[in-house]
Amino acid sequence: MTSYAVEAEKLGKAYRSYGRPLRRVGEWLTLGRYKGHHEFWALRGIDLALPRGSSLGLCGANGAGKSTLLKVLSGTTAPTEGRYRIQGRAASLLELGAGFHMDFTGRANIVMNGVMMGFSRRELEKKSPEIIEFAELGSYIDEPVRTYSSGMGLRLAFAIAASVDPDVLIIDEVFAVGDMYFQKKCVDRIYDFKKRNRTIIFCSHSLYEIRQFCDLALWLERGEPRALADSIFVTNEYAAFQRQHIGAIEEAVRAAHPPVPGLDQKRPEDMPSIVDARIYRLGTDEECYQVATGDSIEIRVWWKNPRPSETPIQIGIAFMRGDMTTCGGHATHFQGLELAGPAGCLVLRAPNLRLLAGQFLVPVVLFDGEGVHRYQDYLMPQNLVVRAYTKEVGLFRLDLAFEERELALPAPAKPVSAASSTRA
Amino acid sequence: MSTETESTLAEPSGAWVSARPTRMVEVLQRLVGLPFLVREHWDLVRTSLRRDLSARFQGTILGWAWPIVQPLVMFAIYFFIFTELLQQKIRDLPENLKALMGVYMFCAMVPWSALAESLGRGTTVIVDNGNLIKKLVFPSELLPLNTVLASLTMMLFGVGGFVLAALFTPVWPRPGPLYWIPVLVVVQGLFVYGMVLFFSTLQVFLRDTIQLVGMATTVWMFLTPVFWSPELLGKDLEPYLPMIHANPAYHMVSAWRATLMGDVVVPSGVEVLHPAVVVADIPWHIGVLALWALGTYALGYAFFVFSQRRFADEV
Repeated sequence: MTSYAVEAEKLGKAYRSYGRPLRRVGEWLTLGRYKGHHEFWALRGIDLALPRGSSLGLCGANGAGKSTLLKVLSGTTAPTEGRYRIQGRAASLLELGAGFHMDFTGRANIVMNGVMMGFSRRELEKKSPEIIEFAELGSYIDEPVRTYSSGMGLRLAFAIAASVDPDVLIIDEVFAVGDMYFQKKCVDRIYDFKKRNRTIIFCSHSLYEIRQFCDLALWLERGEPRALADSIFVTNEYAAFQRQHIGAIEEAVRAAHPPVPGLDQKRPEDMPSIVDARIYRLGTDEECYQVATGDSIEIRVWWKNPRPSETPIQIGIAFMRGDMTTCGGHATHFQGLELAGPAGCLVLRAPNLRLLAGQFLVPVVLFDGEGVHRYQDYLMPQNLVVRAYTKEVGLFRLDLAFEERELALPAPAKPVSAASSTRA
Repeated sequence: MSTETESTLAEPSGAWVSARPTRMVEVLQRLVGLPFLVREHWDLVRTSLRRDLSARFQGTILGWAWPIVQPLVMFAIYFFIFTELLQQKIRDLPENLKALMGVYMFCAMVPWSALAESLGRGTTVIVDNGNLIKKLVFPSELLPLNTVLASLTMMLFGVGGFVLAALFTPVWPRPGPLYWIPVLVVVQGLFVYGMVLFFSTLQVFLRDTIQLVGMATTVWMFLTPVFWSPELLGKDLEPYLPMIHANPAYHMVSAWRATLMGDVVVPSGVEVLHPAVVVADIPWHIGVLALWALGTYALGYAFFVFSQRRFADEV
């Protein structure tokens, strides 16, 4: 007996597209010798092995194949290649309220929707009170679904679906809808599933949700798996990827600092320049561009300046996230440092790097003596990738900590009287 | 316990689901297994049927009186048209037989409308329920079954109305051997279900199907003795008799007529090829129809099963 709840081997799904219906008839008439369609692979090469009780989050851009994978695994569409298997009973929540009949009451729809999901009427009669209570529809339960607000319909649909107690639950982005209160109820129910050691496969555009719910994450890109690993790692990678716009950043750096006037008329060999710049683990000669929040690093910049008396220089180093957020900018003239001599190596030490997960560009800018005009901008050969092995969100880890204390409630503040507030 | 069996059915538990095409053995298993499938999902069948029927009358004033009113009005119209307006060949008939033409038409029209309605609604049933097919895992062969069952139920209202009228009013003196009704319903149901399975599958891939089916149904109706009678039209039709007998719908309506009307005695002096309504012919009619039913069912369901895995991609 395998311990995996869900397994997939080289799973793939291709859709056929016929330009016009006649082409399909052509294929039939020539018994397939004429190819009138072209295939589009929505999903390819998916290998999965999910142990019981694990939860997998799918991330990726629109059209990356997330929904297709869920559809294939839930059995609504057949794979084109490869195979999969699921141990135990699977239930899928691909769309809330599929199969509602608008003219019937909520109560009647519970039965009609439930039997579609494979329940017997007896089971449903037993479950009905629980479903009605969860949906919180009150007396509306005996009104036609047509009269419901969209939120009420969703509540009922989720309540029915949530009453299924499957071994494997497949959910397609159902939390994106409904009000906050409803979302909270859904989320609680999903946590409940997790606690009872059920396997969950889940797709979301919210990396936060994936980090919260899932142990594992699968990053899909154009139907192919790009990363399948620990959910924090994968979501970080994906977030970093999303933020990558290197060219735009270079542009921004150049635009922020105009070149030294008349630079192109001067002889290049007389001009100051950055020879090399690299990132190392603090105090070692080990180059490193993949770090974790809290690691210690240093950035070394080798420079030369043949005529230091004529062309005094300053150096700035910045950390920029792909979405153009400058997360930190440090420069020698901020600290009143002087870079004397014809050449040297400048080191920027960063013990306990506070950056949270993301991919950062580290541009090095060579300024004139005043720190206004730029001689050169130098981009690090590799981006700095920071991985956070925690669920913290944001840019930086601030020096904050929670603690619990037994403190009395402060005395209530004196309410401001209406008269005084109008006078003010 | 390592289950290495492969399954193409929905809701696999521990069985590999793969891309390989459906095997012939599986098709045979499904053909034989349909009754068990229906029993397993009986709650779904029952609920859908009830929903389908009550959805037709939901919100109407007459409500459940409609399925009774409809055939009654239809009956009144046929009765009037065929006894009062159309005088053609029937003119030569004795008065008692002429008066009964309305009944004769009605008894064929009721099962025929059930067939036509099943074909018309059933052909698009898979496409129309694309939302369910794409989002839920359930045996989709129950959708066409549901259409057929709903039409048969409506038909039974008409049949019931006729039987009541025959028993308690002077419209028709005596109904025929009514015990054939359940057999006929099952055989007709299987026959129509097979066709609906076939055309609803074809409609998924070729959206022109419904247009063709609509036209073909009309043509078929006029080729079938619903509004005419080969027997009463006389000797001119004799060369066409084998063709008429090759039409399964001929056997369907003939069996229904004999079942509902009993033997109709042809008055002496009227020349007919064969008495129009003969109770003794019922087993023959039902037998031929049953062969057709098995054929359409096998063909239709096999086509359905082979194509089922692609429904979600095409609807």
